[in-house]
Amino acid sequence: MSSGAGDLIAAAAAYFFRRIVNGAFVCYNADMKRLRFLTALWLGKIAVLACRVLGRGGTDMPGRLALKICPDVLKYLSSGVNTVLITGTNGKTTTSRIVERGLAAAGLDCFANRSGANLLSGIVTCFASNAKLSGKSRHDWAVIECDEAALKFVTLYIKPVSLTVTNIFRDQLDRYGEVTHTLSSIRTSVANIPGAVLCLNADCSLTWSAADDAKNAVISFGVDVPIYRGEVSDLSDAPYCSRCKSRYNYDYRTFGHLGGWRCSSCENKRHQPDIRVTRILSSGESGTAVVMSIFDSEYTARINLAGGYNVYNACAAAACLHSAGVGDGTVIEALGSFEGGFGRMEEFSLGGVSARMILVKNPAGCNQVINYLCSGSGPALFVICLNDRAADGTDISWIWDVEFENLAARKDRLTGLWVSGVRADDMALRLKYAGFDEGELRVIRDYNELLDEIAAQSSPVYIMPTYTAMMDLRGIMTKRFKLKKFWM
Amino acid sequence: MNTVNDVYLNICHLYPDTLNLYGDRGNVICMEKRLAWRGIGVNIKQVPIGCELEWKDTDLFFIGGGQDFEQEVLLPDLEGKKADAIREAVEDGRVFLAICGGYQILGKYYTTHDGVTCSYIGAIDACTVGGAKRMIGNFMFRCAPEDGGFLVTGFENHSGRTYLGPGARPLGTVVRGFGNNGEDGGEGARYKNVFCSYSHGPLLPKNPGLCDRILELALRRRYPGFVLPELESGFEHRAASYMSNRLGASPC
Repeated sequence: MSSGAGDLIAAAAAYFFRRIVNGAFVCYNADMKRLRFLTALWLGKIAVLACRVLGRGGTDMPGRLALKICPDVLKYLSSGVNTVLITGTNGKTTTSRIVERGLAAAGLDCFANRSGANLLSGIVTCFASNAKLSGKSRHDWAVIECDEAALKFVTLYIKPVSLTVTNIFRDQLDRYGEVTHTLSSIRTSVANIPGAVLCLNADCSLTWSAADDAKNAVISFGVDVPIYRGEVSDLSDAPYCSRCKSRYNYDYRTFGHLGGWRCSSCENKRHQPDIRVTRILSSGESGTAVVMSIFDSEYTARINLAGGYNVYNACAAAACLHSAGVGDGTVIEALGSFEGGFGRMEEFSLGGVSARMILVKNPAGCNQVINYLCSGSGPALFVICLNDRAADGTDISWIWDVEFENLAARKDRLTGLWVSGVRADDMALRLKYAGFDEGELRVIRDYNELLDEIAAQSSPVYIMPTYTAMMDLRGIMTKRFKLKKFWM
Repeated sequence: MNTVNDVYLNICHLYPDTLNLYGDRGNVICMEKRLAWRGIGVNIKQVPIGCELEWKDTDLFFIGGGQDFEQEVLLPDLEGKKADAIREAVEDGRVFLAICGGYQILGKYYTTHDGVTCSYIGAIDACTVGGAKRMIGNFMFRCAPEDGGFLVTGFENHSGRTYLGPGARPLGTVVRGFGNNGEDGGEGARYKNVFCSYSHGPLLPKNPGLCDRILELALRRRYPGFVLPELESGFEHRAASYMSNRLGASPC
């Protein structure tokens, strides 16, 4: 259902609801509030059903409808639910999947916004879908990933057990503004939830500064050692001290601006985290083995998803699970057994060809994906799908901050490099300047043709789409290759 | 491909770690590649905060954009010798390409939305006033005829409104979008061999005509009358014409 139609239904429903309520129930304020809430919930639920019958995802529209009728619907829906909120630029979804696995392994009954609908409306849809008709939740716990900019609204209604901030990087400047805006949005949110435990990335000076003025209890997490061999070359999003504007020095760097930072002139520095990875034992295509210390107890853990950035996601999830009272053994078990989230190295079989979908959306995340792809062996085809719709970020300049040059240094591994999406031409241009000849690149605009070509491959395929490109591709893949629908 | 023996260019990338917002380095990558593809040598020197600027041997300076926080970090560094060096280099006719925040700091001052004024380098006759509303989106402008008349597509994202004094002229005229201030239809600035634009991120890759013009100008100081050999630019033009079509103008 298009958002225009959704808005129309919402406006009409809100209008008639007001007419009825104003006429009949004007004297019963408390009852009216409840009636308003229940109407919002029920209409939301009907909308969820309608979307499913129509074969659409509809993770957003039902929530918007419910919010129009009852702006504080989320307050009622989340009351009595133990909620953990997870935010940050990168890693929200993967961290949520580990947390969900850990809660389940601990025998706790939970739900989550799995499809990544992480704005206020999407979170309302998720809570409404998991509520009984009475408004009570069907589950005791909720694992909610939340957009950084939406967090300050969500925290007006949800009073969570904990808030986990994975990291802060530059991301979709046209939407979030500068990283300092994201930071101040998170600070405002923290002030909304004084009772919540903060789980913060100690290696990210930006994230760490979110707790500067907060009195909340903090669980810190981080990585004590470099993750990658060799020099880390990517740009830093935070070269200068948030307090005194002097340059940060680093004892070591993991990637981006993450690592052992210390201000060159004031006292501001990384503190040893409560939950930390102290050694990387081995890393490969199926995951990473690490030594993890949880409040000074050491464990050997296997993280069931490859990529250095997933080491951070594992630490973030461990901190979050700790805040929920989950025991260390269960945490370690969850790290070794969770399954990647929506478009996070998600594996599909397209006509017998193994295809992995890895969502890309900003330079830091994309550099990590490139890093992972370059470290692998064996022939593979890479496909990049670049869109510039609102949910992708309308400004695609960020592709010039990604080290695609590293990909060009691994041509030995590539059986092909294809580009697609609305801004395929810009992507092809970036790759040309990264060191690919025009003849080495293929632009395939039509997704059906693209999927046909992928299904005809003999080697594995890695697809790197931006958000809306991923949604479009999934829609076609679901129909053609009988994949599970994502909102199930 | 033609090769040019022993020809080289010295490029200085000013504040690469501070003014590097959102793909600005795409411009440096672009200049480097377009020179290398023609067999022209290029030395890129990075000059961060705290390093002295030896401008005399530099042919072309590049300054990118930054966030408000980073631009504040820069101010003390600009007060001393560096501002003098930049002004001298500009007056001497060295080629500059300055984008967004870099454009603003070449101007005289910036007055924030709440009335605080920061003095900048004053190398060009421009000043900037902070606005409440950000000017964001894909945009398009046409360079002045004396600058080649290229139709340039880019992305702007700025709250500062820049006004030019009589000592500078716009780089081009806005076709779609806001440009310098959203009022007078001007985009960017030109003074001597200084080129400024609000087209943040990778301005040059999609606009190879403008890139080559800037490179040629810089090369001619060292090699008078130098003419750049042509390059195949199919991908460049395809990316540019996709956006110009979307914005509703046909390239010519």
